[in-house]
Amino acid sequence: MTQERSHIVKSYEQELDQLRAMMAQMGQIVEEQVGLALDAIAKHDEEAADEAARRDPEVDELEREVEGLGIRLLALRSPMGPDLREIVSALKITGDLERMGDYAASIARRAMKVASEEGKVSLSGLRSMGRLVRENLHRTVEAVVNHDPHQAMEVWHADRGVDEHYLTLFRELITYMMEDPRTIRSCTELLFIAKNLERIGDHATNIAERVFYAVTGDNLPTLRPRGGVRKSQQGPPSE
Amino acid sequence: MSETAQQMARATKQRWHQGGRARRRQVLDRIATGTSIAAGVFLVLVLLSILWTLLSRGLAGISWATVTHSMGPPGSGGGLGNAILGSIIQTGLALAMAAPLGLFCGIYLSEYGGKHNHFASVVRFVSDVLMSAPSILIGLFIYQLVVVPWGHFSGFAGAVALAVLAVPVIVRTTEDMLRLVPTSMREAGAALGAPRWRVILSLCLRSARQGVLTGILLAVARMGGETAPLLFTSLGNQTWSLRLDKPMASLPVAIYQYAGASYDDWVQLAWAGALLITCGVLMINIIVRLSARR
Amino acid sequence: MNHGPTTLAEDVADSGEEAALAVKDLNFYYGDHHALHDITMDFPARQVTAMIGPSGCGKSTLLRIFNRMYDLYPGQRATGEVMFDGVNILENTVGLDVLRARIGMVFQKPTPFPMSIYDNIAFGVRLHERLGRAEMDERVQDVLTRVALWNEVRDRLKAPASGLSGGQQQRLCIARSIATRPEVILLDEPTSALDPISTARIEELLDELKEEFTIAIVTHNMQQAARCADRVAFFYMGGLIEVDTADRIFTNPRQKQTQDYITGRFG
Repeated sequence: MTQERSHIVKSYEQELDQLRAMMAQMGQIVEEQVGLALDAIAKHDEEAADEAARRDPEVDELEREVEGLGIRLLALRSPMGPDLREIVSALKITGDLERMGDYAASIARRAMKVASEEGKVSLSGLRSMGRLVRENLHRTVEAVVNHDPHQAMEVWHADRGVDEHYLTLFRELITYMMEDPRTIRSCTELLFIAKNLERIGDHATNIAERVFYAVTGDNLPTLRPRGGVRKSQQGPPSE
Repeated sequence: MSETAQQMARATKQRWHQGGRARRRQVLDRIATGTSIAAGVFLVLVLLSILWTLLSRGLAGISWATVTHSMGPPGSGGGLGNAILGSIIQTGLALAMAAPLGLFCGIYLSEYGGKHNHFASVVRFVSDVLMSAPSILIGLFIYQLVVVPWGHFSGFAGAVALAVLAVPVIVRTTEDMLRLVPTSMREAGAALGAPRWRVILSLCLRSARQGVLTGILLAVARMGGETAPLLFTSLGNQTWSLRLDKPMASLPVAIYQYAGASYDDWVQLAWAGALLITCGVLMINIIVRLSARR
Repeated sequence: MNHGPTTLAEDVADSGEEAALAVKDLNFYYGDHHALHDITMDFPARQVTAMIGPSGCGKSTLLRIFNRMYDLYPGQRATGEVMFDGVNILENTVGLDVLRARIGMVFQKPTPFPMSIYDNIAFGVRLHERLGRAEMDERVQDVLTRVALWNEVRDRLKAPASGLSGGQQQRLCIARSIATRPEVILLDEPTSALDPISTARIEELLDELKEEFTIAIVTHNMQQAARCADRVAFFYMGGLIEVDTADRIFTNPRQKQTQDYITGRFG
């Protein structure tokens, strides 16, 4: 929320700034984590995988700090209007970010298992899904930092692409497994990775919804556009 | 280490004592306090000496006869009974005239006489002038107004003179006390739909009654002790007389007459009368204090 | 003030409730000073409408128009329309005593009258009704019970009201104003002189009273407005900037000025 005026109580304004800075930092770390996890898949980079997992406690710690500050602001400052919306949204967004961090760490771990059975399946579909999720996440974090409802809306719409990728990948992996049962192990891992990426995309849309509400005070429609997965009979049970 | 500690200690001392300035302040404070206490003690001593003189000279003259006998020629064993009664009658009558007039006038000034009301300003100014006017002037005025047309002195004229003296006091205290009633009281009354007169009488005057009563009692005390306005109006009388159209005795006038006389028993009675008046005024003041405390 | 009149008209229509007080094109003057500009808003029946805004914004002025308090002071005048039960109360034909019995008011500072607790309540009732002893006793007990004061004062009804605590005095004043059976109660910062516990009691009381009365409250305490009010009106410099549900005003006001004020980014 770009306020032309600053709050009469300077320390309040400072605390709000601190909250925003913490959110930005958390978003950046999660972005890096997801990036590292994707590198781990693409380049079989064990170091990147380790790094992705190692950063998880940092995110958890930041989540606790954001929660602490948010609760303190609510209790001591009685925020109203946009301030209230921003703080409550931050409390929720921080949870989404933390989950994303967990998924990234999980992806990194599974990537190492897949790496040992290299060459049996194509990773191109997963790579392009990863690129899209990464891009979406980047825009989401930007929307959070810049309080940009338009960007949030774009992310929200772009998630359809992620869902479609997931569906395609799902079918592809099933085909591999049916053709050659020896790939079942690595394909299952890849399926989990794809699912985790899809979940990251979902959390990104959640965050986009929060940002939109925080800035405009209005809610995005409850039914967001989806890539057919949920409606598809062939798709896996969601969640 | 110990050197820095010493420096810090010195700095602390300096911050707290600020050298000679503090001492000068203390001395000045003592001088001011001492002077005030001395002035207070002096004043109490003066009052006590007056009371002492009154008691020592007056007490001897007070007997049952002082109250029951009327004034009489020197050596006849007369008292002050008629003067006491005359004072009570004239003061009472004056109060009966002054209290309603003063009350209503005070209400007018406080409730209706705002800043921009010129007539109210004039009334307030006249009342204030009247309050500080020498009482002998008021006596002369009533002499012209009542005594001359009637052709003789009278108790009634005395009461009128006393009333003129009392009205400004009552006006002033009534106005001041009513002004102390918060606006919110008037608004709260009006907000319930009460008409203005009702708000003034039931709420404002009731809130201010303590102060208003105090003002009236103070006016009574002042009337009881005044001599000058009575000299040209009720004149004084040596006998029991309840007639308002005849000259009437009063304590202050009796004291005035007797104190300068060359007969010892008259002088004695003058002192006794002074003591009685003082006690009366003192009692009114005590009543005011006690009622104000409640 | 330029605050799109069309939006305001919509807001008024939005309330969709029967209006106890309907203000239209109201202007108010303290002598030459134009204190309220073209106010148009509704006070829905049996709801709490709070008026907020910085000091001198005109919110108290508006409140004091509804019971014609300004009549006490020469030089103050109002133009426009305030409809109450089919009548424009600004017109001179309206009987002030009846109006004030039907629209009660409670002030910032508790104003107990210099009389007993019982008489404080009976005073207002006697102005408008002739009640027998028993009926009056019943009325007094009824209103004191409703403001949750009965149990605290039942044994000292004849004691002076000045002996009550500040919070009790304020509840007595509320009891006094509902004793004349009004339809609307105006409250001018009723808790600004009270401690938090007494304040909470008054707020709780408002919640109960709105079942039966239409309540208009002026408050400087935004949390109080948020807690008590169904609808909130924001005033600034003698103009009505925005009126909406409390929920809307405090989470997502439409006007920038309102937002600046409620978030503390003012002046």
